[in-house]
Amino acid sequence: MCLAIPARVCEVLGNNMVKVEITGVVREADTSLLSEEVKEGDYVLVHTGFCISKLDEEQAKEDLKLWDELLLE
Amino acid sequence: MIKKRNIFLKESSLKKRSYIKKGKRNRSKRKFRGEKGRVIYAKLEIGKNNKIYEKKRKGKQEGKKVKDITPKYRNKEAVKRLTEKIRDEAKKIDRNVTIMHVCGTHEHDIVKAGIRALLPKNVELIAGPGCPTCCVSALDIDEVLWLADHHNLTITTFGDMMRVPSSNESLYQAQARGLDVRVVYSISDAVNLARTHPELDVLFFSVGFETTSCITAAEVLRVDLPNFSIYSSHKLVPPAMKLLLQRDDIEFHGFIAPGHVSTIIGSNPYEFIPREFHFPVSVGGFEPVDILLSIYSLLKQIRTDSPIVSNDYKRYVKPEGNVAAIKAMEEAFVVSEVRWRGLGTWPLSGSEISDDYAHIDAKKRFSIPKLEGKDLHSKCRCDEVLIGKTKPQECPLFMKACRPDHPVGACMVSHEGTCNVAATYGSFLEELQE
Repeated sequence: MCLAIPARVCEVLGNNMVKVEITGVVREADTSLLSEEVKEGDYVLVHTGFCISKLDEEQAKEDLKLWDELLLE
Repeated sequence: MIKKRNIFLKESSLKKRSYIKKGKRNRSKRKFRGEKGRVIYAKLEIGKNNKIYEKKRKGKQEGKKVKDITPKYRNKEAVKRLTEKIRDEAKKIDRNVTIMHVCGTHEHDIVKAGIRALLPKNVELIAGPGCPTCCVSALDIDEVLWLADHHNLTITTFGDMMRVPSSNESLYQAQARGLDVRVVYSISDAVNLARTHPELDVLFFSVGFETTSCITAAEVLRVDLPNFSIYSSHKLVPPAMKLLLQRDDIEFHGFIAPGHVSTIIGSNPYEFIPREFHFPVSVGGFEPVDILLSIYSLLKQIRTDSPIVSNDYKRYVKPEGNVAAIKAMEEAFVVSEVRWRGLGTWPLSGSEISDDYAHIDAKKRFSIPKLEGKDLHSKCRCDEVLIGKTKPQECPLFMKACRPDHPVGACMVSHEGTCNVAATYGSFLEELQE
């Protein structure tokens, strides 16, 4: 149930709705719970038809850099 | 010279022609005659099409940048090196360490990825109450069924809930005897059903932790239909973690906090755990490397005896969480006591719809009599499995009377349920460990 799925925004429909693609399946999702703007190509977590979080791409890259450092210790 | 086949093209079909999409002829300005005899310039159309095509290509490239990151979270080399690091830490600790996670998806991903087989002998991972459908009390389902029976309601709920046993029957069995029970993917689908079918009185049976309750909250705040109501059986994770820490019948040494719940509430609400209980917490993601990283972070905290809340899922979880979602939850819900399956009523660990929205709350709209029910069928040990005290394999019903195709206990129903996960991937794992 608390299974949120990472999905890619493939179209912004307006009125707080976007179309997202989840492993090839396209469906509509509500963005009214997101405080930040989403645009095409963004990655979001979708849970029961609502976007609940947006992937922080910079943070993801930084994480990976930190891991590399950690693993090389 | 204009070729014959191009003369009577419709404007729309002109756009669809693949050779135009590919932009092969966009350099020459060719004249075509449209349907109404209007001359249209192919270049113009091509130009327009090319733009759309390019835009799509751009989107794909942007996506690719992120996609490249995901395999790194499943990287074999990273898993190997992290496992070595975990073994080193475990050796230094030199006593048994038990780590509890409180998320059904964590249990699913841990077992599926075979992470328990990678851990050293003195580190054990146990599953806490993290599967929302497993925690729903049989009495809640009884009440929903009573409402549907006595007020002629259409029940809508998530697919996971359908086979969860109540005191007498599951929603599927109720559907088979004629009740109108429908599976929806989202609460919005239930609202749409009520909107498009004013003759139905739709009840949405809403279960789940903060990840789901914020979505219910968003609908509570905006829906205004006379034929729609919600039965809330929502639960909260941090108070449940506190209650687990206060129990002295389960011994564990660290918490992996649920990643998806934390995208909503953030990592701040867990701060009381190291402060009041001197107990380590790591907010964990769901890829194998994420989970191992959380375990490593917890072991390090345990070895150095310096408990903190370590956010190891930073790409989705912010310390303050999703502010808009928290605001919606605070407005729509009040914190209340709630029934947990087999564990009795736990204080301050549930969400009830606030009095301002009483018109949408099924518990206030209809008066429900006090029902007698039982959470556990004889010999079922879901209550102990839920808090990690008993392993699914230790339950006398496991894979005998209680199987995924015929669940007796709630933990065998959902793919996040501890017993269901053990039944699905268990035998494979045992082979792996041998």
